[in-house]
Amino acid sequence: MWDTALSLIQTAIAGVLTGGLYTIISLALSLSWGVLRVINLAHFGLVVLAAYMTYQLTQFGNWNPFVTVLATFPIFLLVGMGLQYFFLRFRIETTPSLLVTFGLFLILENVMKMIWTADFRRISFAKNPYFVSSISVGPLVLPLLLLLVFVVAVVLAVAFHLLFKKTHVGRALRAITQDPAVATAFGVDYERLALAFGGLATATAAVAGVFVGMIYALYPSAAEPWIGISFAVTIMGGLGNPLGALGAGVIIGLVEAMTQRVADPSVARLVSLVLLAIVLLVRPSGLFRPLVPEQ
Amino acid sequence: MRWKPLLAALGTAALLAAIPLLQRALGFSVYYLVFLYFIFFWVAQATSWNLFSGYAGMFSFGQVAFLGTGVYTVAILIMRYGWSLPAALPVAAALAGLLAFTVGWIVFRLRSLRGELFSLFTLVVGIGGGYVANSTPWIDGGQGIALTRVGYPALFESMTEYLYYLGLGTAVLAVSVAAAIQYSRLGRGLFAIHDDERVAEGLGVPTFRYKLTAFTINGLLAGLSGGIHAVQMNYVAVDSVFTLHFSLYAILMSVLGGTRHWMGPILGALVIHSLSDRLASAGFSELQQVITGSTLVIIILFMRDGIYGRLRDRLQPTLVLMAVTALVQWLALRPVDGLTLLTITVFVALAMLLLPPAVYDRVAAAWRPRFSSGSGMGSAL
Repeated sequence: MWDTALSLIQTAIAGVLTGGLYTIISLALSLSWGVLRVINLAHFGLVVLAAYMTYQLTQFGNWNPFVTVLATFPIFLLVGMGLQYFFLRFRIETTPSLLVTFGLFLILENVMKMIWTADFRRISFAKNPYFVSSISVGPLVLPLLLLLVFVVAVVLAVAFHLLFKKTHVGRALRAITQDPAVATAFGVDYERLALAFGGLATATAAVAGVFVGMIYALYPSAAEPWIGISFAVTIMGGLGNPLGALGAGVIIGLVEAMTQRVADPSVARLVSLVLLAIVLLVRPSGLFRPLVPEQ
Repeated sequence: MRWKPLLAALGTAALLAAIPLLQRALGFSVYYLVFLYFIFFWVAQATSWNLFSGYAGMFSFGQVAFLGTGVYTVAILIMRYGWSLPAALPVAAALAGLLAFTVGWIVFRLRSLRGELFSLFTLVVGIGGGYVANSTPWIDGGQGIALTRVGYPALFESMTEYLYYLGLGTAVLAVSVAAAIQYSRLGRGLFAIHDDERVAEGLGVPTFRYKLTAFTINGLLAGLSGGIHAVQMNYVAVDSVFTLHFSLYAILMSVLGGTRHWMGPILGALVIHSLSDRLASAGFSELQQVITGSTLVIIILFMRDGIYGRLRDRLQPTLVLMAVTALVQWLALRPVDGLTLLTITVFVALAMLLLPPAVYDRVAAAWRPRFSSGSGMGSAL
């Protein structure tokens, strides 16, 4: 009886922590959709690319896997700015952005396949001892990496939240979310802000990539299972709402973990889709409020 | 009603119907029949997608769900219940149509699911369909279904021939339906919805009914074509059926060809499939997908209306160029494989169509002063 309760709590905690990973992966999608009105499907490919980079540096360069983010973050910052410049230059609106970034995702996936082949790649345990480490809290055993992922997710979500609510830049960002034209009339430099923010949002892929590289075996289409989950997190959390994304990630992670106890793993994957479908039908603005509520 | 393109298409269909007979008589490689079958398949898929999503402007990413329903219905009925293919196909179409009707009925009632949220919802249905099939042992359960010993009527020389005609018939059906819709009130209503749904409603267009009708037809045709494809695939598994790529290719082909005309998906299917077939046969499947992705990006950026409009304006020069290209290849590059010849010809024509109007005008004026370009006027339909 106590054992069942214990294992239940264990599963719940694992689910919540995994939700942290979902949050980190989905954050860029939510931010770029919510603020910049661009749905960046290529982001999923970028996360896998960042994971591959972490893999390369750790496995062949003998870097500490956590340190690789120092190298990948600036790279993806630039990539994000480049992408955003591309969207601005061609005035790509939300619906076309879905198609364009789908094309980019396809290109990215296949370039990765050409470089790293379709074989599974995993950082060896020798170079990645964190994979098997865990921390014991009383009778519970928490995997170290999952715990770190969750902490980082909270840090990122809170950081963006504070950015939006407490800084001048954040206020300008909220202004351009609400109405870019009027914001420009009030003196906000839309283009520079969009470039910087786009870069920052995409750079979170580097952070996600570090953890993905450490936790999962990599293959070029590794991103595809996360597409559904990320959209679920983004919509449920409210577009552009970083804390909402965290909350949604946790909910989905939790429900998924509990479902996995009682049913097939493939049914568990359906969970996020069903939740997404329900939210889309019942409350498309999200369970939590979007960054800027629709007028 | 524009008769010339329609007559051209019907004439082509008649010619295509004769090809297997030519194959029996002249004995060239059966692979041509397979290649053409795939063209028919993609024409049916892209056309069925386009007659709702292209005409109404609401991009559905769920095409694969209809295809998958058709594929699995046929696979299950034939292999587990011993039905024949001609009996299973209508059921496949009906079930896919029912799925479309149900999803459409729920989604179109909700005003909030406009634009990209609709696309997202259909994406979920597409992905979810795969998961459902995978976890339900009664459907697939992760095992896959092998279609063995499917019979074909004695009239045909081989299964390939049988599939060829089934595919041709479905493609002709899909194109006819799309053309019929385009010139009907339903079509005009869909185009109005594309332009501005609220205004269309204000003008009295029954948007819910029209959208639901077109979307259901999309499902029916996609399911029918999918059912036939199950036999072509031979081995049906969730991983190979419920891939996003089916949805993506249908969208790409329609957007490339032109979404506001029934001819668009045909052009797109021809271009995209010949390229992917040739590159895949040569072993360059990753490169092929990179090119496909790049094509999508380029089309969205520079030619959102697709190539159909430009083809109409530049028809004569393009046909001449194609004839010359084919001739040059035949003379200079013997022996040349027919499909490679076709693909290169298609691509030279595509390059011609991709030329921006400014460049084209100058080239046309320099080459043949009496050619009028007319390129600025034809894009709007």
